[in-house]
Order: sequence, then structure tokens, then C-alpha cells
Amino acid sequence: MAAPPEPGEPEERKLLGFLDVENTPCARHSILYGSLGSVVAGFGHFLFTSRIRRSCDVGVGGFILVTLGCWFHCRYNYAKQRIQERIAREEIKKKILYEGTHLDPERKHNGSSSN
Amino acid sequence: MAHAAQVGLQDATSPIMEELITFHDHALMIIFLISFLVLYALFLTLTTKLTNTNISDAQEMETVWTILPAIILVLIALPSLRILYMTDEVNDPSLTIKSIGHQWYWTYEYTDYGGLIFNSYMLPPLFLEPGDLRLLDVDNRVVLPIEAPIRMMITSQDVLHSWAVPTLGLKTDAIPGRLNQTTFTATRPGVYYGQCSEICGANHSFMPIVLELIPLKIFEMGPVFTL
Repeated sequence: MAAPPEPGEPEERKLLGFLDVENTPCARHSILYGSLGSVVAGFGHFLFTSRIRRSCDVGVGGFILVTLGCWFHCRYNYAKQRIQERIAREEIKKKILYEGTHLDPERKHNGSSSN
Repeated sequence: MAHAAQVGLQDATSPIMEELITFHDHALMIIFLISFLVLYALFLTLTTKLTNTNISDAQEMETVWTILPAIILVLIALPSLRILYMTDEVNDPSLTIKSIGHQWYWTYEYTDYGGLIFNSYMLPPLFLEPGDLRLLDVDNRVVLPIEAPIRMMITSQDVLHSWAVPTLGLKTDAIPGRLNQTTFTATRPGVYYGQCSEICGANHSFMPIVLELIPLKIFEMGPVFTL
């Protein structure tokens, strides 16, 4: 994330010059869906009401709400995934360390299920 | 270490820093959206043809713009407090290192398994080898094991200093007459750099911190343990 781009790699682009949406998990996804939501809401409102200024307001509001919604949803799933990855890593380490001994997690699990 | 013109945080080398980066991303997205809204409101204010000199109150709007920021602040505060308490969690450090700030170098003491004490001075530019980093490399690095909780006791012998290593999410003031403690667990090996973070005189910018994090098996075999 913080390494400079290598000579062969494409240059990293940042939104508005400083927002690193490429490397921040969920950022690109949220902003893209937010932009789509903004266009749909604003344009849809305009089609029904023909009010330009109010449609712009609806578009901006739509962008904020959809971006925020996608962001929290994606980050929640990302946090769950990280926790599951950490648990899996710890279990794999324990399995390798204790395989064949009385502390083997698989033996404990099989023992309790047969009882 | 940071690369030239880097604005963002460095990659995390400890679980706490990973959490801090996650929190930073969360807060930045909220800040970005609020700034976007304020910019839009400013644009509307500057371009409207409407004027109304008779507005006396706007109760509903005032209620919304009081409650909504309070909710946003709670959304920011909860993860922040979670990380704050996480940094103070009680664990059982495997190793304790003392770091003493001087003008303008650091002294490190490994006293758990003997009496290893050494100074860490910045390498002057004339003494740099090809590949060394100017103003960052030191003559004696702090060698530590990875995947082991380490306690750092930090103090100073003269003026205020601050022992900081951004990639580990550490910054602790070195205060004369006081012992500050910080703990960390590094997750990957490598050489990590930091710099003194409290103004301490003419050479404040020239007393860097360099950690060399190595696997525990190699740390146990190495010269650090043979005293």
C-alpha cells in the first residue's frame, strides 16, 4: 500500500489527487456505486419533476447515502472476513503444531462428536 | 520506510497499526462525504438568485443539523475508543527493552538476559555505504524478534524526545524523570525506520530509530544473546 510504484508498473492514480481509492479496501466500490446511485436518483427525479435544482440536490443526497451505505456494508463484510482469516490462520498453526498429540484440535473435535 | 512525497500511512507491521489504518480509512470516508456536502452547500449559496430577509426560525432544519452530527461523532468515536483500549490490553511481554533518549542519540538496554547496552547514532553522510539511507540509517540497530510481545520502556536523560516507529503504530514520549511504557507485537520481519518526534535541539532531525525485526529462532541464536 505504501510502496512506491516500480518502474514497470502503471502509475497509481488518486481520486482528486489525494484519495487513494485503489488501495483502500471498499473505497472504489463504494464511490462507483455512489456515483451510479447519484446519477440514477438525480436523473430519475428530473424525469418525474423537471426541476433541475431539486434534482441536483437529490443527486447529491443520493451520492452521499449510497456511498455511505455501500461503504458500511462492505467494511462490515471485510471485517468479518479478516476475523475469519485470522481464526483460520491460528487453527492451521495449531493443527501443524499439535498434529498427532493429545492437543490435536481434530482429535478433540472427533472425540466430542463421537460422545 | 516512507517513500518520497508519500502522503498516506505506511504498511502495517503490527495488528494495532492494521486497526489504525482501518480506522483511518473509515474516518476519511466520513470526512470526505461531509466535505462534499459542505462544498455543495457553499456552491448553492453562491449561485442562488433567491433572497429572503424574513426568515426567523427553521426548527426542523436545526434539529436535523444537531442530531445528525451527534450520530456521526458516535460512529467515529466507537471504533476509536475500541482501538484505544486495545492498545492498553494487558499481555505478557516476552522481552523488555529500555530506550533512553539523549541529545542527539538513543541508548538501548537489553537487560532481561544480561547487560547489553549500546548507543545508536545516525550514520553521518560521509560514513554511508552504497544502499544506506541518508539521515535514517544508524550504526547500531535495535534487533528484535517477530511474533513475540515486546515491552519498550522509554525515558530520557536530558530533554523531551519521542520514540516513534510509524509502521508499528508507535509513538511514545521520552520524558526525563519518567518511564513510559509501550508494547507491540511485530508480524513480519524487516528493517523499519522511525525518527525522533519531539523537538529536542539542533540535531532533533538527526537521531533516527532503526528496528531490525528477525524470526525468533534466529534472534535466540544471534549475538544479542551471547554476552
